[in-house]
Amino acid sequence: MDDFWFEFVEITQSIGDGFLFGSTYALIGIGFTLIFGAMGKLNVAYAATAMAGAYSSLAIYILFDASLVIIFIVSAICAAILGYLVYLACFRFIPVHNHLAALMASVGGLFFIDEVIVHATRGSPLNFPSMFSEAYFEVGPYGIRGDLLFVFFIGLISTGVLLYVLFRTRLGLATRAVAQQDVAARLCGMGIHSTNSTTFAVAGLLGGIAGAMTAAAVGILSPVMMLPLTIKGLIVTVIGGLGSIPGAIIAGLFVGSFENVVMYFRGIDERDMYVVALLFIFLVFRPNGLFGKTITRD
Amino acid sequence: MIRRETEKMKRVTRLVSTVVLAATVAMPLAASAADRSVKVLGWGAKSGPLKSFGVNSEAALRSAIAQINAAGGVKLGDGSSAPLEVVSYEDSACKKDQNIAILRKTASTTDAIVGMGATCSGSCQAMFGVLQKKVGDATDSGVQMPILSDTCIRPGLAKISEWAFRNVPNEVAMYDKLFAWLRSENPDVKTFSGGTETDQGHSFITHTAIIVQAAVRHGFEWVGPSVPELGPKVKQGMKELQAAAKTQHWLMGDTNYSVQARKIKKQNPDMILVSSHPFSACGFLKEMKRRNVKPKLLVGLTSSASQETLNGCMNAAEGLIIPTGFAPITPEAVSANEIVSKAGGFLDLHSAAAWENAYLVKTAVEKAGISATSDTVAEDRRKFRDALASISGSVGLIGPVTRDGATGEASKPYVYVQVVNGEWKVIHDPR
Repeated sequence: MDDFWFEFVEITQSIGDGFLFGSTYALIGIGFTLIFGAMGKLNVAYAATAMAGAYSSLAIYILFDASLVIIFIVSAICAAILGYLVYLACFRFIPVHNHLAALMASVGGLFFIDEVIVHATRGSPLNFPSMFSEAYFEVGPYGIRGDLLFVFFIGLISTGVLLYVLFRTRLGLATRAVAQQDVAARLCGMGIHSTNSTTFAVAGLLGGIAGAMTAAAVGILSPVMMLPLTIKGLIVTVIGGLGSIPGAIIAGLFVGSFENVVMYFRGIDERDMYVVALLFIFLVFRPNGLFGKTITRD
Repeated sequence: MIRRETEKMKRVTRLVSTVVLAATVAMPLAASAADRSVKVLGWGAKSGPLKSFGVNSEAALRSAIAQINAAGGVKLGDGSSAPLEVVSYEDSACKKDQNIAILRKTASTTDAIVGMGATCSGSCQAMFGVLQKKVGDATDSGVQMPILSDTCIRPGLAKISEWAFRNVPNEVAMYDKLFAWLRSENPDVKTFSGGTETDQGHSFITHTAIIVQAAVRHGFEWVGPSVPELGPKVKQGMKELQAAAKTQHWLMGDTNYSVQARKIKKQNPDMILVSSHPFSACGFLKEMKRRNVKPKLLVGLTSSASQETLNGCMNAAEGLIIPTGFAPITPEAVSANEIVSKAGGFLDLHSAAAWENAYLVKTAVEKAGISATSDTVAEDRRKFRDALASISGSVGLIGPVTRDGATGEASKPYVYVQVVNGEWKVIHDPR
């Protein structure tokens, strides 16, 4: 009985840890899905933009000994600017219907940003200031990391603000209009490119916060984080349903928990295999994800 | 009188003609001796997450070669001197295909007599595989180019080919002596556990084949997942350990170490092994600190005895003990450290080997008596290889290095360093 109870605690603790850490996946997933929802295209460079924002904020921290609040704001602003630049470089001048070219351009953007960071830092891991790193709450047999709780709540607030912008402001109305029917939106006087570029900047803002929070949660920044976060973000986007913000949130939390449970039982060799298998299952049996628009088969 | 003058004129003319002729013949020879250089070509990771390895090795190699050239260069077979020249230092990005492509290009299109560097064990293993296995084997069409590595540290790689040589620490000996010393110094430390990154060949193999067994050999008790096959011999129970302990391992790019840290905390070991490169070692160490895991001893992987670990997690790594083949503890090491720092690199156990390799090349070139002309490249490479294989010892930065020509491996001196107040300090010198 003791063993059962112990295992139960360990498993639920794994789920809880993964759930909280999954909020960083959710934020990255929201960025992917926001851009996909607006343009119907994947911006693979999104996670790299988010991490680049975090690197920029770290530079400010080192140079000016800035506070954590400033770090988060700088990360968000830098990622927004980078998001806009990625739009200009990888999407703005590529024909609207050439999805493959835009996808490949954003893949190039990912590797370009990655290499710029590697060259600037020599690939060396850098210490990132943690928030509430000493805060560790013990509730009965369970332990909860204070900094991950903070990440979780910041994630919730960011998502709330994003949803407000999307559904209660003119910018959100324009974004949704362009996403639904770009020709009609243009006829109504909405600028396609200005709306898309603003969407990239807004997604970048969110990404910057996600990047800084991920770095703060891990306590380190390194270019090796870039590709795994990109892959996790894409998986979350597909499982949540391309274009669905609630879907990205739920999928992010779910993937975080799922991979931690697999890690607990099956170990590192099989963890990512099961996560990718989950993606495969969704693509085959529920291609529209948890909340995405219905995709019909030919 | 006139006849005497005529004879004198003839003699002078003959003399001048002889001098002019001699000068005409000698000048091209003199010019070619002055123009000759002994070419080497380096490569390593200069992009990607392991860029610092390549950058540091390049800075060390170029600095050492500049020092050799400033002291007169190397002696060639005809008795003349020539400078060493780094033709280029390419970026292999720790990728197997890129390593092989650079090797083939170097062998076929350059006059370099040796390839130097190559960062990662996995890519070295692949590259050594395309070299000719046995020297002089006419049936083997493998590449005939000597390779002298400073970083590919996974045990036993140089035996893949007789053209492959390494100047890397012998981790089997290093960890064996380390745990013997830790045993004698810490009688209260009885149990141990730990984790590694499974996607990095050096970390994974060294942890599961060498480090854990060395700890067992010196009386520490493994309290991780049960592995009955585990024993004191190198590789004993390696496969079983890899399978059993997979829930407390991680990947190099991981961001969440919660499961691993809780599993190890639950085992409550006195000593924890963190066999990982700086990024993931720091991620795991920080997670342990958050969860208030406080072992009596922390032991790390040789590759983490670097500035990167301090950059990433100076506080969390406090107390971490690592055996290393370099520390600025001799006048030569201090001097080399300063020179390489000025050149924009850090000297650590890998890049220090790149420095030593430059001097090893000098010794081998002078022993081989090479010609260093474009017509004798293949012959020079073979002579150089044979000379390198015949060298049984060299002077390293922290002490004498012995070499085994048959295996292409080195046996290097080492010390134990520990993170103390945010800096690496030498805590024991077993030389």
